[in-house]
Amino acid sequence: MQMRPVLLNSCARAASAAEARFRIDVPIAPSRATRVVALDEESEAAVRRVAEQDWHHARFYSVGGEGLELTRVDGATVPLVDELDGVDATVLVASSDHGAEAAATIGAACTVRGIMTAGLVLTTGASVAAALTALRPHARVLLVPAEEEDLAELLRAIRA
Amino acid sequence: MLRTEINELLTQTGPGTRMGDLFRQYWMPALLAEELPENDCAPVRVKILSERLLAFRDSDGRYGLIDEFCAHRGVSLWFGRNEESGIRCAYHGWKYDVTGQCVEVPSEPETGNFCANVKLRAYPLVKVGDILWTYLGDPAQQPPLPEFEFVRVPDEQTYTSKRWQECNWLQALEGGIDSSHVTFLHSGQLNSDPLFKGSKGNDYNKGDLKPFFEVADTDGGLLIAARRNAEEGEYYWRVTPWVMPSFTMVPPRGDHPVHGHIWVPIDDENCWVYTFDYHPVRPLTDDELSHMHAGYGVHSENVPGTYRPMANKDNDYLMDREAQRRGEQFSGVKGIAIQDASLQESMGPIVDRTKERLVATDTGIIKARQKLRKAALALAEQGVTPPGVDPEHHRVRSAAIVLPHEQPFQEGVAEAVVARPGVAQTTV
Repeated sequence: MQMRPVLLNSCARAASAAEARFRIDVPIAPSRATRVVALDEESEAAVRRVAEQDWHHARFYSVGGEGLELTRVDGATVPLVDELDGVDATVLVASSDHGAEAAATIGAACTVRGIMTAGLVLTTGASVAAALTALRPHARVLLVPAEEEDLAELLRAIRA
Repeated sequence: MLRTEINELLTQTGPGTRMGDLFRQYWMPALLAEELPENDCAPVRVKILSERLLAFRDSDGRYGLIDEFCAHRGVSLWFGRNEESGIRCAYHGWKYDVTGQCVEVPSEPETGNFCANVKLRAYPLVKVGDILWTYLGDPAQQPPLPEFEFVRVPDEQTYTSKRWQECNWLQALEGGIDSSHVTFLHSGQLNSDPLFKGSKGNDYNKGDLKPFFEVADTDGGLLIAARRNAEEGEYYWRVTPWVMPSFTMVPPRGDHPVHGHIWVPIDDENCWVYTFDYHPVRPLTDDELSHMHAGYGVHSENVPGTYRPMANKDNDYLMDREAQRRGEQFSGVKGIAIQDASLQESMGPIVDRTKERLVATDTGIIKARQKLRKAALALAEQGVTPPGVDPEHHRVRSAAIVLPHEQPFQEGVAEAVVARPGVAQTTV
C-alpha cells in the first residue's frame, strides 16, 4: 500500500524557503587537493600569477620534457608520482603543443590513480588546435579558449 | 561554490537588480500565443522578472502587456472586460488600450483631458512563432526580434509547450547545460521515449558512461560538447549550445525533432520553462505531436487548463518506486521534464551555492555563471550590450556527430551548429 506523508518534511513540499532553515548546517568538508601544471612557458606565467592568490590545498607547477618531474613555483624540483599522492584533481594548462609529452605522462599517471583531469587552453588562433590535440586525450574536461581568470574561477569553484 | 553575494547577483532578477537589468536587455517569452487565442478573449495575468502584468488581445488583434493594476484604486485589471479596443476595469470602468494609455474615465467629464495624463506601464508584446515575446528594457535600446530557428520555421514544423517550475531560474538553466546528468537521470528514456528511442547515438550514449567534456566560448554564450567512444578511431560528440541568458538546445537523436528550452524568471523563486521541438526540414508528424501533447520527450503533462505539471511537489512527482527498481526510470519519476524539475525543485527555491561541491566536469556551469556575472557587471558599469542580444547569436543549433579522433569538435561541427534554413540537422 502506498504510504502517504504525515509531516511536511516527509514530502517534496519541504523544498521551501521556510523548511530550508531546518537543513543540517555543518562546515563544508576540507577543500580538494588539486595540482595545477603549466605545460609550456606562456602558461607558466599565467599559472604563477594565479598561484599568488589564496588557495587551500592547491599546488602549482611547471613541467618540461617527459613530465616525470615537476617544478614548483619556488623552483624546487619534485617527482611527479610523489606530488600526485592523495590528489583528487589535476589541471593541465597549455598554450601550445610543446607540453604534449608531459601531458601524456601526467594524464597516464592520473588515470592509473583515478585522479580527475581538467585542461585549459590559454590561447586563441592557430595555436588552439595544437594545444587541444596535446590535451584532449588526457583531460576529462577541456575549456577552450580559456583565460587566466578561468583558471582561478575553476579552482575557486572546486574549493582548491 | 559561489560566494553569497555572487549567488544573489545571479539569482535576483527583479527591477533594479543587476541580473534583472541584464534580462531586460533581451526579448523574452511572456506567454504562449495560444493563451490569447482570439480578439477580445480573456486577459491573462503575467508575472515576469517579478513584475505583475496583464496581457490581452484587443478587438483589433493588437497585443498588449500592461501593469496589472488599475491606476485609480489599484485593483487587478484581470477582472476587467476586454471590449471595444481596450480593457475596462471592473471596479469603476476606467479603460486602457494596449499601450497602457487610459482612454476613458466614466466619472470624469467627457470633454476633459483627465485620462490623457493617466498611463500604465506597458511593454511591447509581439508574436514570433508560437510565442508572445516581450522586452522589458529601455525602449531606446530595443533590439531586433528573436531569430531562434524554432520560431522561424513554418508553423507545421514546430511545437512549443510551457510549464511552471517552482525554483529559481538559474538552477533550472544549469540543468540544461549539465550534460553529465543525462547518463543517469534520463537513462531509462533513451530506450522507451517515443521522441528519443531508436537512434544509433543512443547506443553510443549507453556504451560509454564516462564522457569527456569540452566547453568552448562563443560570441553568444557557450558550446558544451560531450565526447564518447564510437566505432574504432572515432568519437561520438553531442554538442549543446547555450545562448545567453537562458536558451539551450539538446543535441538531436536520429531523425527525431530537435528540442530545447528557454527559462524565464517569474520571480526569484519560480520560473517558466518554454520547451520547443521542431524539425528544420519537415512537418512534425501527427504521432510526434500527440506524444509532445502527452508530455513525452522534453515536454510535460500539465494539469488541464493550467501550465502546472500533473506530477509536482504536492504529490511527490508521482514517484514510482517499482519503476525505479525495474530501471524504467532512474529516479522513479516519469518523464524527462519532470525528472529534471523534481530534482531542481528539491534543491529549494534558491539553492545555497556556498555549500555546493563542484567537480571539474561542472566546468560548463562554472563558465556559464562567470559569463553571466561578467556580462551583468559590464552592463552595469560600462553599458556594454551583453552576448545573446544580437539576433545573429540566435542562429544556432545543437548537433550530434561522429568524428575521427584527430578532428577537433569545433572544426567538425562548425557548420552543423549554425541554423541553416532548409538544411537538416546534423544527427546520429
